[in-house]
Amino acid sequence: MPKLSSFRAKKESAPASELGAHPSEGATTILHVDMDAFFVSVELLERPELRGKPVVVGGQPGQRGVVSAASYEARRYGIQSAMPLRTAGRLCPHAVFLEPRHERYSEWSDRIAAILARFSPRVEMASVDEAYLDLAGTERLLGHPLAAAHRLRREIWEKTNLPSSIGLARTRLVAKVASDQAKPAGLLWIPAGSEATFLALLSVRKIPGIGKVTEAALNGLGIETVAQLAALPRQRLEDTFGRWGSALYRKARGDDTYEFLDDAEAKSISHHHTFSEDVDDISMIETTLSHLCQKAAKRLRDAGLYAGTVTLTLRYAGFETITRARTLPAPTNLDQDVQRVTRELLARHRDPKRRVRLVGVSLTSISHGETQLELLDPARREKLEKLARASDQLRERFGFEKLQLGGSMRKPSRR
Amino acid sequence: MVGRRAELPFLPLLLEFHSLYCYCGLYLLLEKGYSTAVAASTAVAQARGNQEMEFTVSKADLLRELSLTQGVVERKTTIPILANILCEAKGSRLAITATDLELTICTSCDVKTKKDGSGTVSAKKLLEIIRLLPDSDIRFKLLENHWVQITSDKRNYKMVGMAKENFPALPAMPHVFARLPAALIADMIAKTYFAISMEESRYTLNGAKLILKPDSITLVATDGHRLALVEATQKVDGLNTEAGVLVPKKAMNELKALAAEAGDEAQIEFAQDESNLFFRIGERQLISRKLTGQFPNYEAVLPRDNTKSVGIDRDELADALRRVSQLADQRSQAVKVTLSKEGVEISASSPEYGEAREVIEREYKGADLSIGFNAKYMLDFLAAAPQGPISLELKDEQSAGQMRPSAEEGTRYRYVIMPMRI
Repeated sequence: MPKLSSFRAKKESAPASELGAHPSEGATTILHVDMDAFFVSVELLERPELRGKPVVVGGQPGQRGVVSAASYEARRYGIQSAMPLRTAGRLCPHAVFLEPRHERYSEWSDRIAAILARFSPRVEMASVDEAYLDLAGTERLLGHPLAAAHRLRREIWEKTNLPSSIGLARTRLVAKVASDQAKPAGLLWIPAGSEATFLALLSVRKIPGIGKVTEAALNGLGIETVAQLAALPRQRLEDTFGRWGSALYRKARGDDTYEFLDDAEAKSISHHHTFSEDVDDISMIETTLSHLCQKAAKRLRDAGLYAGTVTLTLRYAGFETITRARTLPAPTNLDQDVQRVTRELLARHRDPKRRVRLVGVSLTSISHGETQLELLDPARREKLEKLARASDQLRERFGFEKLQLGGSMRKPSRR
Repeated sequence: MVGRRAELPFLPLLLEFHSLYCYCGLYLLLEKGYSTAVAASTAVAQARGNQEMEFTVSKADLLRELSLTQGVVERKTTIPILANILCEAKGSRLAITATDLELTICTSCDVKTKKDGSGTVSAKKLLEIIRLLPDSDIRFKLLENHWVQITSDKRNYKMVGMAKENFPALPAMPHVFARLPAALIADMIAKTYFAISMEESRYTLNGAKLILKPDSITLVATDGHRLALVEATQKVDGLNTEAGVLVPKKAMNELKALAAEAGDEAQIEFAQDESNLFFRIGERQLISRKLTGQFPNYEAVLPRDNTKSVGIDRDELADALRRVSQLADQRSQAVKVTLSKEGVEISASSPEYGEAREVIEREYKGADLSIGFNAKYMLDFLAAAPQGPISLELKDEQSAGQMRPSAEEGTRYRYVIMPMRI
């Protein structure tokens, strides 16, 4: 199931698996699987009549908010993710605008994660609709990684009817760029040694990690393509960008060892929910929070991690946002612990006179869970852990929504 | 009781509102009882005609007493008066009171009073000014609108004050229940304080259990992961039954400070009513709201058959733990303690920092055992334990370990610590 940091060197075997995380020269074993227009594709499963039409997920064009996903047909009109809905409505007034249903998307995401898990023990769900896999050591079982990638893409399609694109390369960075280039519904293999050729003509913006700011700075230096970036001496980049400069130097070569070891480790897990209308009903806020807590705690357990700090985020109508954190006496991965702390934080810090627009819970101080045993009621934790294991199994079979703590039984209205 | 009235002149005024404070609780006091309390006490005050106040005090005396109140004054309070201290001058004494409604400290010092009376000013600002003033006499005078004038030679300050009637009324101390040696109590607090839970939701663990018997005093604290118990053989004056109370963490800290200030021979007079604990040391008094609830049955978790034991010098063990834990996981502070015929091995590792291993050679004849502990928990105990050998007593990797000073004199000190799964 979704692994948060499978690539990270585990404690006991730190030096060995670090070597393992450095793919040896010539081995292209890293897959980046990216679902095509994921939210739209999920909606189309239930409304096949919309296939071939411009579809936008995010909300109605009159509403505030942004585009979460757009079908390829809608993209032809210039609609992009993160664009204000109003703008999208202007660009393509006859597009079908749908409300996002995040619970559905995460259900399908879980199903895809289950398929991915059959191809490699090292799966990292980078987000709800993309994942990295390391196929190293699976050749005997699955054959050449290219064949395995092909089969994986087909299997996702057959099992879910959802299109995906896959990049296969020596590093995560190149694999991600490749899957982007393969879209829609494609598979692109960048054999080892040809990374530079592949990247050369792309715009620097295509490199993960290079955003608007870096792009503008590079353009200022007269650099637009990756080839031009790769031609810059390391010293020059470091002088201009500092530490980020040496990362850029490596990125331009398709090399991301640095990013691999540092960024693969989950630093936090958070789940947020924006209410479709601002609410002041405490029970609505509490049930939503309870739901988010369970999701976050399950992700912790899936990744074999524990959290030491729980943070509550509250955004009031009018966008003022408060975050309140509490450090736990001992790290936990239990729904009940996370829920109890967020409830206390909510009770203490919420201004009951104001309407709430968004609630969220973040888990930080992530560790591999050297668990402190309980002195006073040692059976309690054991029972809760058993319960968590059993409920996780049920959720994996029947979907996350099917099993909930009592605290989240009053589901918030979804639209 | 009557005798106290004479010594602490503000108490009679407060007595009237004793029950109000006790039973209404903060909320009610603020929402309903407040105006009643203010109206009533204003009437009393006016009847006494003490709307004046003027006295002279030495800087050293005042600074010492003010410092003792600082732990109690609320820094971030929603009730402005709680950021103030109450000064009441009568005869040759100045009474100083600070409260956060949970905890109250009343203290006093000698003054030369010109006019009896009282006022309230910001505790923090007053302390800072007094601290910064040179050693000399300082004159206080109540002005109009509750302002207080402070003068030292040519230095002149006027501080904004609030009506003293707004200051919460305090409960009166009931009859003294037991007398406890202050130095012993301070030592016992130091040995248990660190094990009190910080987790607010486990409020019965937010304090230590004080058990008084005619011939012993026991103090126990736990946070659910470790437990510190100290039991002193000591005849308790004035006690002929057994009594147990929960003392809140903050009160313990203040009590320790008061006890330390009072010197070796001082006695703590202890009393309680339905909702408060009272500790009086000489002229100073600490009043704490009681923690309600059931303290866990600590007897049940004390290990009985931890037969795998080894003795290590306190400082040697502490030094090794401090070094090894440098490379432990920074959050969990997990270290592994391994007993074998080689002795005691302490090790730790983390992917970020590396690994550490130290062996302390000691004779150990039992079966090999490897157990994980939070290094901080062990170090907390070692910092509180007396110098000399410490006995580490284990059973298996799942069960609570016990640490204690190998040599015991009159005081039984036990530290029970649950292992970590690593």
